Amino acid sequence: MTSSWLKTSIASIALIAASGAAMAEKANDTLRVAFTKELENVDSYFNSSREGVVLQRAVWDGLIYRDPVTNEYKGNLATSWEWIDDTTLEFKLREGVTFHNGEPFNADDVVYTVNFVAKEENGVKTQRNVNWMESAEKIDDYTVRIHLKDKFPAAIEFLSGPVSMYPDEYYAEVGPSGMGLKPVGTGPYEVVSVVPGQHFVLKKYEGYHDSPKGAPEITNIDIRTIPDVNTQLAELFSGSLDLIWQVPADQAEKMSAMDQFTVMNESTMRVGYLSFDAAGRSGDSPFGDLRVRRAINHAINREELVNALLKGKSKVIWTPCFPSQFGCVEEAATTYEYDPEKARALLAEAGYPDGFETEFYAYRDREYAEAILSYLNAVGIDADFKFLQYSALRELNMKGEVPMSFQTWGSYSINDASAMVSQFFKHGSLDDARDDQVLADLNVADSATDPDTRVEHYAKAIERITDQAYWAPMFSYNTNYVFTKEVEYTPTADEVLRFTTMSWN
Amino acid sequence: MAHIDNTDPLLQEITGPTPGQMLRKRVFGHQGLLIGAVVLIILLFIAIFAPLLAPHDPYAQSLMNRMEPPVFLGGTWEHPLGTDHLGRDYLSRLIYGARVSLLIGAVAALISGVIGTAMGVAAGYFGGRVDMVVTFLINVRLAMPVVLVALAVVAILGGSLQVVIVVLGLLLWDRFAVVMRASTLQVRGREYVAAARAIGASTPRVILSEIMPNIANNLIVVITLEMAHAILLEAALSFLGLGVQPPTPSWGLMVSEGKNMMLFEPWLVLIPGAVLFLLVLAINLMGDGLRDVTAPENRS
Repeated sequence: MTSSWLKTSIASIALIAASGAAMAEKANDTLRVAFTKELENVDSYFNSSREGVVLQRAVWDGLIYRDPVTNEYKGNLATSWEWIDDTTLEFKLREGVTFHNGEPFNADDVVYTVNFVAKEENGVKTQRNVNWMESAEKIDDYTVRIHLKDKFPAAIEFLSGPVSMYPDEYYAEVGPSGMGLKPVGTGPYEVVSVVPGQHFVLKKYEGYHDSPKGAPEITNIDIRTIPDVNTQLAELFSGSLDLIWQVPADQAEKMSAMDQFTVMNESTMRVGYLSFDAAGRSGDSPFGDLRVRRAINHAINREELVNALLKGKSKVIWTPCFPSQFGCVEEAATTYEYDPEKARALLAEAGYPDGFETEFYAYRDREYAEAILSYLNAVGIDADFKFLQYSALRELNMKGEVPMSFQTWGSYSINDASAMVSQFFKHGSLDDARDDQVLADLNVADSATDPDTRVEHYAKAIERITDQAYWAPMFSYNTNYVFTKEVEYTPTADEVLRFTTMSWN
Repeated sequence: MAHIDNTDPLLQEITGPTPGQMLRKRVFGHQGLLIGAVVLIILLFIAIFAPLLAPHDPYAQSLMNRMEPPVFLGGTWEHPLGTDHLGRDYLSRLIYGARVSLLIGAVAALISGVIGTAMGVAAGYFGGRVDMVVTFLINVRLAMPVVLVALAVVAILGGSLQVVIVVLGLLLWDRFAVVMRASTLQVRGREYVAAARAIGASTPRVILSEIMPNIANNLIVVITLEMAHAILLEAALSFLGLGVQPPTPSWGLMVSEGKNMMLFEPWLVLIPGAVLFLLVLAINLMGDGLRDVTAPENRS
């Protein structure tokens, strides 16, 4: 008797607990979100992941804000700015802004932050985001000048993106590791708790200034790291998550057929491409021959990849950059229609009538890589498939030991062609083409202040790169956001979750 | 010469059944052995005649026909077991996958069998220092977790069919060595070994014709166990992305590729999983059966 009573009560307690957990959290005003990857450090200068960008936009503010829909630059922590000369920007700062810890925001914070991150030895993870700044100088409490190392027309774009402002006194005291554990910013959400890599709890910042980001509506944001997509989906079904993102196309398609979820798809700036060792860094490779590179461009059915695998808002891409980026002139790119016969003919002409053997590297999206591999097989290229971690492949690439690889680049959501073309074609360690003509054009385009000159030279570089088929650009990525019907959210095209624009239905 | 008719009932009554007849009786009376053997023979047949049996090219991709369901879930007979995430025929990949699994199982078991048996028999027969060295090597080997070492080696050398076979072959000899050593110890003191030595038989001859036949039944069991072990390990490595590389069809790889869609299309995982289960079960059943029918204590 006793034991069966005990069993019943334990079972009912378990049931109650389970149903309690499964209840929607709208009542508690808590939005539960899942991250797929572990975030190494919340301090946005010391991580390079998408999850980091999401938290950065929630916890901190930059001087400038770019409206993700209109792409218009608006003042955020700065109210106005002007170019004093080609390498000096002056900002008027917003008054009355306070950090989450009560510290008032003023010119000292900007000067400290810029001087700290611009110094290479401080080890900011993505140097390209900050290494164009020389230093900052205080004019008065609410006026600051930022000095550039060289002409850098994309400065405004970078200041509206990865460069956020930190509280000088607090940052001087705790440093990047302290900032990662107890982040303090001026952003719309303040951080309640951080379990590194695992769990982040945010709370609406009541004192948030009148920012173009908009005032937050949802009070609590609870973010957990759940690496497996299937687990995320299961938790969404059982009601212990409200929103997930980066959901693969196939799963998203199935979810959209269900009534209780909203599935939204947005494009991202990430471009998938094949890179060939045209410069012959990996030894005597067939990719030194233009005909081989063109043959591969003809061998890939980009339309089919986009329609059947990537789906959503993905597009076929012919440029070595994302078309929305400034200077990414689509018309300049040579296109290669899908024509396996022509590919075979070109290979035969190049002296490979029966194809050849090579190594083929990839680091993500195994499925896409396999599909590409199969196109290559179809024209006779026998590729030995090697799937590595990103860091391992990057290292091999830098050593120039990769004959052909499937790569992707997301440009850190920076809407300027320099974030992609110039990253890879300026004879750096990742440059497999090493074309002097391209380098010359990019040098002009990167530092010219006249927008027309920039466009003209990016176009020339793109024309040369695609004509020489140094890459086979293929497609742009998209991201699926899946959330319960209780959540109202319209994702933006830059792959950043914006909690401020979320609300309950 | 007088012909002896074995079927003569009178003669049978006098002499009893011949050893061959008794073996046949034991074999056909052992259900596990029969089931295992039949399944294994069918799978072997499928593997050998894969090009004739597969309805489609296992590498032919058709992105427009991705993840079509199998026929019992509403699919068409064009693809009886549906298609995978790249629109390749699942049945054809399954059939070709049998080749990979059986090849890896057989060759890895062969390599480790040769290594392990040589070491075990040498240790058991010679004893002394040889035994000490072999026992030490076995202990060293046992101290290494197989999966971890295999993962590390494959990660360094890169995954391919050959690498996986060699790595598994070089790692799975421990059980052969342990069992063969113990079995050899048991038989080396027997009268027939002493007799063979007494008539001046050479050591290789004693080992090959006196010891080996009498420990062969144990060897068979270990071979089957290790074959099953190797097949499962290959599947595990391929599942983790470090085994056989795409587009080679491998059952472990198929499970891994289907994993992402498990919530919505569970058959993508269930079908290769079930076949893998069937193969390993068949091998184990056959191994157990062979031990039962060949064990010396059952012979009399």
